[in-house]
Amino acid sequence: MIFSELYSAYYHTVAAILKAAVDHPLQTDEIYHIVQKHAFGESILHIPSALLEERWQLIKQDGTTPFQKAPYMPLTTLEKRWLKAISLDPRIHLFCDCHFDFSEIEPLFLPEDILIFDQYSDGDDYKNETYIQNFRLILDAIKKKYPLLITLKSRKGNPIHRVMMPEHLEYSEKDDKFRLIGSGNPFGNTINLGRIIHCQPYHQPIENLGKRNAPNQQKVIFELVDKRKSLERVLLHFAHFAKEAEKLDQHLYRITIMYDKEDETELVIRILSFGPMIKVIAPLYFVDLIKQRLLQQKSCEH
Amino acid sequence: MAYSELVKNFNHIRDYMREFYVYGFKCRNEFTKKSARSYDDERRRLESWLGDYMQFRQTADGKQVFLSIDSRMSRHNPLYQAWKTKSFTDGDITLHFILMDILHVSKKALTLHEITEQMDQYLSYFTKPRVFDSSTVRKKLKEYVEEGIVIAQKHGKTMFYQCSQSNCTLSVDALDFFSEIAPCGVIGSFLLDQYDTCENHFTFKHHYITETMDSEILCAIFLGMREKRTITLKTINRHTERISESQVIPLRIMISVQNGRQYLMAYASQFKRITPFRIDNIVSVTIGDINASFDAMREKLNRMLPHMWGVSTQSRSGQRMEHVAFTIQYAEHEQHIPQRLECEKRCGTITYLDPHTIKFEADVFDASEMIPWIRTFICRITEISFSDKALENQFKSDIEEMYALYGIEGGA
Repeated sequence: MIFSELYSAYYHTVAAILKAAVDHPLQTDEIYHIVQKHAFGESILHIPSALLEERWQLIKQDGTTPFQKAPYMPLTTLEKRWLKAISLDPRIHLFCDCHFDFSEIEPLFLPEDILIFDQYSDGDDYKNETYIQNFRLILDAIKKKYPLLITLKSRKGNPIHRVMMPEHLEYSEKDDKFRLIGSGNPFGNTINLGRIIHCQPYHQPIENLGKRNAPNQQKVIFELVDKRKSLERVLLHFAHFAKEAEKLDQHLYRITIMYDKEDETELVIRILSFGPMIKVIAPLYFVDLIKQRLLQQKSCEH
Repeated sequence: MAYSELVKNFNHIRDYMREFYVYGFKCRNEFTKKSARSYDDERRRLESWLGDYMQFRQTADGKQVFLSIDSRMSRHNPLYQAWKTKSFTDGDITLHFILMDILHVSKKALTLHEITEQMDQYLSYFTKPRVFDSSTVRKKLKEYVEEGIVIAQKHGKTMFYQCSQSNCTLSVDALDFFSEIAPCGVIGSFLLDQYDTCENHFTFKHHYITETMDSEILCAIFLGMREKRTITLKTINRHTERISESQVIPLRIMISVQNGRQYLMAYASQFKRITPFRIDNIVSVTIGDINASFDAMREKLNRMLPHMWGVSTQSRSGQRMEHVAFTIQYAEHEQHIPQRLECEKRCGTITYLDPHTIKFEADVFDASEMIPWIRTFICRITEISFSDKALENQFKSDIEEMYALYGIEGGA
């Protein structure tokens, strides 16, 4: 069962409190602090009082505990089954050459139990040794915060060199690709890992690495007519964006979506995919982007 | 019953989360399924768990509450919080920690009697010590044996218990990554909770988290599928609120990374065919007997895949197979267009007619599934034909309607 108190924030928080209490007598303030760190907004009203009033008989009045060791939680069978399932995913080799030791455990699912049917077919090659080495080095550089000298293929296929301070890796399931996001590269904040030929730590002194450009947040507003189940389809499709939906009348809705400017072209074609169910109303330049495509389409028909 | 931020039944909260996260335009008085008090309680719970993402808008009809999450910015799926809210009794939590400490500290397996004796010692430090009778402790131990965290072994007539010794050896980074992208990723999130700190080195683009609410349903389907069992599904029609029951052989989970929907492809005996079930419409799964037809049915599904654009296995036109063909043109500087078509064509084929024109063709069970994708090429479609002429007319009239919407001369 996934929905079990064994995995609950309350059990997890109490484990953290007991771990501290095994180490030293707890003051009430410390209990509050641990609750705020691990549990929910209103948990502060419940957990400390349950412990201090001895409804949960785990912490003594003097702030110590009868427990001898910090709480230990072994893996549940469900956790082992999930771990075994992900150990069969080719992307696991990006992280380790690990072999799971749960010989008696069946994986929760096998790769053949799942099919992503609309993923792009030019995803990264996770079995490629060079790709794996690059990935691991980049991840190490992100964690330890050192710059990298990256050699990548230009769009014309020529090798080019970039020095970059890596910040994090971004993965898109739709593209099935990783991108390195970082700063210091005057040609952009991102590099597709699939285009990297080689990378190595950069040991030269760096001047003015610069800061990464912050995402350029934009907003598009459109009206949606709820025909052919379009309300549900549209809202699910754009669910991964921060958004707002307002009901204007029985079948008419106004939807506002916040997006990054660099994804504008993609957003234009995603909006077009809903045909006449969506009408962009603002901003004006976005309306023009749609109009321009429709005008071009009209010219194709002659 | 007094309000608590914890819940006993996830299904109640599942519906509210979907409403607040996916839709988010309803006011309190539009939540008619349950009482107003129930709405207030669930909204308060969600605010407690996901306060940073809850937003409000005042309208003439009242206050609208919604969850606004940009999943590219939030490095961990915030909806996982909801799975960590199971309620329990005061006795449950006290028993859990004492029991696990006794078993963890002990160097040998213990009998029930030894465990209860030690428990009394732990509890003797408190003003009014709780008393757990043997049957309560035995029941909890049995539960933990089933969960896999306690091992029970019988010697003669006596049962001995010890703590299971297993740790997660996977790196935090791997857990972080797979907890976001693997099915039932919430389990990875439970594992991450065991670590004191978790630095975030990943972000996720096009990241659908809607399916989080369906984790337990998906998990139950996997359990049935792995053992090749029949399962009974209760599904809801969200328009009529009607619940129906189907006995099926679960064959494969089909996932869309372009709209976040997940489907179970299953052989449904009542329809005598393989058909998709949307997982977010499944309200319960009951695992039944092993089904000898599993392998044959999965093989049949594999043979169908080359004609499935999405998940549909039959057309609206009544034709067994539908043909779709369209031609697009692109300029010399638009080489990304043929590249796009190459990597998005799925079961279709493409032919280069000249250096700036490509023809796409596919034979699929249901051509209507392709329409949204074809529309993404609007601005360059020179010809299009569907074997289902009604669908073709619909496609063309939709484009006319779009011209009219934007005031383009000649639109419908």
